Amino acid sequence: MTDTAKEMQKKEAATPEGVERTRPEKVYMPAVDIMEKKDEIVVTADMPGVDERSMDITLEKNILTIYGKVDTEVPKGHRLVYAEYGIGDYARTFTLSEEVDRDRIQATMKNGVLRLVLPKAAAARTRKIEVKAEA
Amino acid sequence: MDSKKLIPRGKEQETAAQEGVQVHPLIAMQREMNRVFEDFSRGFDAWPLSERFGTFNPSMNVAETDASVQVTIELPGLDEKDIEVSLTKDSLTIRGEKKEEKAENTKSYSHLERTYGSFSRTIPLPCEVNEDKVNASFKRGILTVTLPKSGQALQETKKIPVRPA
Repeated sequence: MTDTAKEMQKKEAATPEGVERTRPEKVYMPAVDIMEKKDEIVVTADMPGVDERSMDITLEKNILTIYGKVDTEVPKGHRLVYAEYGIGDYARTFTLSEEVDRDRIQATMKNGVLRLVLPKAAAARTRKIEVKAEA
Repeated sequence: MDSKKLIPRGKEQETAAQEGVQVHPLIAMQREMNRVFEDFSRGFDAWPLSERFGTFNPSMNVAETDASVQVTIELPGLDEKDIEVSLTKDSLTIRGEKKEEKAENTKSYSHLERTYGSFSRTIPLPCEVNEDKVNASFKRGILTVTLPKSGQALQETKKIPVRPA
């Protein structure tokens, strides 16, 4: 398998400049789908190894950060003989636009996939305007 | 002062001079097109099928102890029932399909990074395993298959002491 293909599968998250990590584990950037629906925006992220307890989501002003902690999976006494994926945490940040209703953001986690539902604020919703025939 | 030196050289003159060297733009374009097609068809056999179209291609890790082999594979978004694990005498095969969410009928993706589709991965086993005691569990999107080494395989491993000559 080529290196570029591997990179596409699991990218290491970029560190903000001038910031040093305090934990030895690597941090990866999860693959994300963003889907826009009529009343909401749905973000799904592949984060295998993360469950609802180890998932941390913070919203600061308009920056939404997701951080999933992965417990080291190689059990004690095992030695890794072949590795295709790196073990580490997941992190990614998103900038929310004004149209997202911050108070009603929902997050669910299932089988290592995070699903974030960002409802659109009432003002941003698409409205259908009925056209009436003039008498 | 020679006023002619201040006037920029005529455009027409310049292009006329260049045309003598350059190939006709249509021919240049055709060459370019041929090159693009050649690169494209060359790329076809250079890459394996799955990587080319960005279908789901999960990664696996293999860990080993003296007594067992442990295979882990990242399968985010799959259910236990989507995964099929089979074992032959000397290989382990994991098959499955990552389905795209179908519930939404009005979907418009503004960003698409995750991959979907079916996959099949086979790995050769490093030694004989105890088929009856193979255990597969799925948790948080990671499938773990533990294969205890068979008694025979354990016996076959022989430690050879190294002595100073």
